[in-house]
Amino acid sequence: MVDFFLGLLPHLLNGVALGLLFALLSLGFMLIIGVMEVINLAHGSLFALGAYFAVMLMGQDGGLPFAFMQAYYDLPAIPRYIIALIVAPALVAVVGMGLEICLRRTYGKDPLYGLLLTFGAALVLEEIIREIWGPAEYFLPLPKAIRGGFFFGDMIYSNYRIFAAVFAMAMIGLLWAFLNRTPYGAVIKAGAHDSEMVRVLGYNLSRLRLFVFAFGAALAAIAGIVMAPIWGVRPHVGVDAVIPAFVVIVLGGVGSFWGAVSAGLLVGMVVALTAAFLTEWSLLSMYLLLLVVVTFRSRGFAGKASALKA
Amino acid sequence: MSSKITRRSMLRGTALATAGAGAAFFGPWKQNRVYAAASDKPIKIGLTHDASGQFANSGQAEKRGTIMAIQEANAKGGVLGRKVEYVWMDTETTPQTGTRVAERLITRENVHFMVGAIQSGTANAISQVAQKYGCVYFNTNSSSPTESGKNCHRVKFVWDGSGENFSRAAAKNAIDAFGKKWMFLYNDYVWGQNTNAATKKVAANYGADAVDEVAIPVGTRDFSAILLKIQQQKPDVVAAAVGGDDFKVMRKQVSDMGLDTSPAWLNNQQDWPDVYGLGADAAFGVFGTTWYHLLDLPGVKDFVARYQARYPTTRISVPGNVTYNGYVAMRELLRVIEETGGTDNTKIIKALEGRKMSADDRMQTHDAVIDPNSHHVQQTVYLARGNKKPADKTDYFEILTAADPESVRASADAVCKLESFADTPSYDQG
Repeated sequence: MVDFFLGLLPHLLNGVALGLLFALLSLGFMLIIGVMEVINLAHGSLFALGAYFAVMLMGQDGGLPFAFMQAYYDLPAIPRYIIALIVAPALVAVVGMGLEICLRRTYGKDPLYGLLLTFGAALVLEEIIREIWGPAEYFLPLPKAIRGGFFFGDMIYSNYRIFAAVFAMAMIGLLWAFLNRTPYGAVIKAGAHDSEMVRVLGYNLSRLRLFVFAFGAALAAIAGIVMAPIWGVRPHVGVDAVIPAFVVIVLGGVGSFWGAVSAGLLVGMVVALTAAFLTEWSLLSMYLLLLVVVTFRSRGFAGKASALKA
Repeated sequence: MSSKITRRSMLRGTALATAGAGAAFFGPWKQNRVYAAASDKPIKIGLTHDASGQFANSGQAEKRGTIMAIQEANAKGGVLGRKVEYVWMDTETTPQTGTRVAERLITRENVHFMVGAIQSGTANAISQVAQKYGCVYFNTNSSSPTESGKNCHRVKFVWDGSGENFSRAAAKNAIDAFGKKWMFLYNDYVWGQNTNAATKKVAANYGADAVDEVAIPVGTRDFSAILLKIQQQKPDVVAAAVGGDDFKVMRKQVSDMGLDTSPAWLNNQQDWPDVYGLGADAAFGVFGTTWYHLLDLPGVKDFVARYQARYPTTRISVPGNVTYNGYVAMRELLRVIEETGGTDNTKIIKALEGRKMSADDRMQTHDAVIDPNSHHVQQTVYLARGNKKPADKTDYFEILTAADPESVRASADAVCKLESFADTPSYDQG
């Protein structure tokens, strides 16, 4: 029995790390669906775009072929990585703003309009990526400090996984603090509850929506940069991201911050444990979990309405 | 002799005539698509290469090879004095799309032949449609043992080495060098399942013990739990039949955890587009391939130079096994059309069955032959590993051995039962 639990322990810890990454993946999705009431199917493409911009900013294979960039690419990896973590999400935020402007005509109409528009945007963005970067695979080079593995007991685990999990925790904490401890966050939360009331109080609702969408897009890009060294970077990597993000949001409940975080952790744990003990079920397991939860509680763990009524 | 037409005899005659006409109209009969005799109209080839999905990158690499062969033929005046044209459709790494594309190429585009495949499920789907119409189809790069085994067809020719060929080239060496405790990982679809079954059988014949066997769903993006499991099982060798994007992701995660040197990895086949741009470290473990651009053999340098001249801006700056397979397959098809003097499917198939191709011509170490019973090209299989002393920035592989075709012949080919010529519709688009 002791051996069984000792054998289980690495998988439980791995499940927590994976769960934090799933939670990070869904933060931008959660923000946009919560405030804008739009199921943003372009979330995955924004995720992919963030990863590609980061590859471009890190240089080596995938860097810009301009002589004036060489001095920048000669910088050590750590400052380039930090710059990538700031600049790539900012660039994707601009793309997100463009998408929000396209979405404006769908506000107040059937949610299917927004869903279809973002679906179309996802296809367009993926094709643009394919045109610019081609179908080939890219990998995001990492600073040496977060590469390689470390021993715990007689097993090796990835340094980068630990970094990514800690980074995800930090992002979750920062986003929570922003939403709950700043006046901007209060306005966003108020917008999620009653956007008309926010407008009546004198806030510019269009600007708020533009900001929230840009913020959500930037969060998708950050997730893309963090996941790039684990999943790789290819034009359709966004599909790998948008499906689990959607599952996490539906499980957690639309508009619920901690619902999304706890659902991410649960999905991570379920996927990690099935991958360890019933590998052929590992992809299916998150959908089975979704099926069970939605059957008995359509609004998820902590949501106020079902995802389809968002 | 007098004859009198009675009402009864007339009814009987009418009934017999109707039955006869009905039998002739409703069959049994096979569908034939034979158009006007050969003319100077272009020879049209349907290219079934992926541009999206799991094997998008390899599909485009293969496309560069087939188009290069077509353009070279046209530069020499075409085939039989006719221009060779191609129409390409994205098969999306999906069997359903493969079926739809093949139907369209044959019935709407009226192609003479079809060429191209990376994923075995898609190749199988295309070949079923090809066999229904009698259209000769070249599976250029998909390597499930079933493609030239139980899913073989009279119209289909398989140009890549199969998973079993690569296993045979590697298994004995791996047992001798690393040990008998083996763990098997495989993608849970036709290529992975069949390659794994073949590898297991070959390894067992050499005395390997299977400690575990893990089926990995296609589309898996997180291998951390599986890599922890491998560490818990402590195998000497991990034999992996994981392909496409899944393989790229797994390789990255194996490397991140520092597991790429211990245990020993036996990666059935490593396609060039899956490693190019990632450096020699990406080519971890021991693996098989049918060709390498730095082989010291006649014609290799010239082929690489022609590729670079034709594709100066492509990211993959030198051709690999996938482009090579596409090129040599298309080149051989065009030669056979020239030799048979037309595009009649029966003549083409007969000319290909048992066809011998010299090592020099194919830029390989040993002569190759198309097995007349399975339509599988029996060719040199190279065993390789990541190159620790690269000659240049494209020198990722260190070639360890060059197995001759007989020594790695796949037993799976023996189960192939080709349809008879009588059961294969005649097909000639003129």
